[in-house]
Amino acid sequence: MGLLVLSGISILCSLFIGSSTLTASQVLNVLMGNGSTLEQTLIFELRLPRALVAFCTGAMLSIAGVLMQVLLRNPLADPYVLGVSSGASFAALISMLLGFSAMFIVGGAFSGALLSIFLVFIFANGKGGWTINRLLLAGVVLAAGWVSLISFLLVISPPDKVQGMLFWLMGDLSYDRPLLPGLIILIIGFLLTIPLCPKLNVLIWGEKQASSLGINTKRLRLSIFLLSSLLTAGAVSLAGGIGFVGLVVPHFVRLFVGNEHRILVPASALAGAILLILADIVARSAFAPVQIPVGVITAFIGVPLFLILLRRST
Amino acid sequence: MSFKINQLSLHIGEITICKDLNINIEPGEFWAVLGVNGVGKSTLLHHMINVDDAISDEIIIDDRSLSDYKHHRKHLAKKTGILLQEYEYNFPCTVLDAALIGRHPYLSEWQWESLEDLNITENALKRTDLIDLKDRLTNTLSGGEKRRLNLATLITQDPDYLLLDEPTNHLDLSAQIKILNFLKQHIQDNNKAGFMVIHDANLANRYCDNVLMLYGNGEWASGSTKEMINTNNLERLYNCPIQSLSNDSQTVFIAG
Repeated sequence: MGLLVLSGISILCSLFIGSSTLTASQVLNVLMGNGSTLEQTLIFELRLPRALVAFCTGAMLSIAGVLMQVLLRNPLADPYVLGVSSGASFAALISMLLGFSAMFIVGGAFSGALLSIFLVFIFANGKGGWTINRLLLAGVVLAAGWVSLISFLLVISPPDKVQGMLFWLMGDLSYDRPLLPGLIILIIGFLLTIPLCPKLNVLIWGEKQASSLGINTKRLRLSIFLLSSLLTAGAVSLAGGIGFVGLVVPHFVRLFVGNEHRILVPASALAGAILLILADIVARSAFAPVQIPVGVITAFIGVPLFLILLRRST
Repeated sequence: MSFKINQLSLHIGEITICKDLNINIEPGEFWAVLGVNGVGKSTLLHHMINVDDAISDEIIIDDRSLSDYKHHRKHLAKKTGILLQEYEYNFPCTVLDAALIGRHPYLSEWQWESLEDLNITENALKRTDLIDLKDRLTNTLSGGEKRRLNLATLITQDPDYLLLDEPTNHLDLSAQIKILNFLKQHIQDNNKAGFMVIHDANLANRYCDNVLMLYGNGEWASGSTKEMINTNNLERLYNCPIQSLSNDSQTVFIAG
């Protein structure tokens, strides 16, 4: 509940703070439906959509992180470990190189992510079904393959495009993003994850235990894999490779609410959304008018916060 | 009402665990499964609840074969439960929350645990002497406490047939006796049945009514403990000389 209020507050904050100086009263004026056209454009067409994109991305990454951690039964797994983001990045960079518009870059990234998910799934499903190790190996090796292709692209790309590509790789919310597809993926992903939560509570004890308590473990792990991959694909397509959120937020929230996934999943989603909105405020206003990739800021905020918590936890 | 294994032949890789295995586990009975390491005792146990393969028409639980339970997994989980040898402890939670997962088969998709589920779980913790630790995190438990937590989860699940994979693992002598007394009592008082893999033939002799011996190469024998546990059978089973020592009340067997 507290998190819900906090996420509301952080969206509001994001409306008030920005690189062009609007006073608080000006913003309030716009929210009341008044204000000049310029001010209205600034709030409703720049700051609000950007805050909402940050909200979606943070929430998707965090839910994907929770799911991936349970799937691999490792609290240090993150949504990128199986190479979904690298596949997306490669496709996005190709779209950028060919000079496509933002919409096509997002679409390209999503197709790249889907291709990567498909490949991991095929290779992990070798003889005798899949095991955690085989899944992890298939994902990590494919990710390495994508990364080498990405390096290749960066080397052969004209210098004027490399800056944009690097921003994308680091995770960036600065250019115009189509919000609606992200929002739809988030809502669908969230609604499909919630009924899985009681099963996740059992699965953390191992597949045999889950199976003996009446869970169809094959179907469950396939659902987890697909859901977490789709959410990651959605997040990466929307905002590039924002690191750290999917690893740290779920871990961080576990420290507070424990491993009851019916609480953990919504709480992580909100916490991730808040972190990313706040990080984005910093990214676009700290060194204004220069914008910093938001992925850099999430690490700046996240790393010390996480290390402090790690020391305090028993 | 019984747990029947009917003409079951089970292999893993090159190893034949059993050939044409026939046993009938009745409520109130406590079975021991004996055999050397690697003979396939645990695999047999897993097979007895493993609905993923769902090809087992040879395993019949309360007049329905295991494959019939394929789409009624939760129903099956109310009938049979297992105490595994090992569990994963990567995600610490409180002892109470850990044992509460035993209620999973009783809850529908959207249902939260009721006060009754909580009472059942707390009762299981009381019976396994864990109630004082109910708010402790699972990663801070000792080996013996973890074993009792695994047992408490099984008691919370409350199946009719309890498959037990080395319940005395990690336990000191007095704790071994305690857990076996508990299981024996639980089985007798509630008309449950137990099917336990154990390496200590003397404990099997002392607590169990029936014994299944897996000799390797698919050969097996079963019968009452009195018929089964003797020097000859144990020598064949463990492939080493066995001596028996007796006093007025009991006989113990030692290797060598």
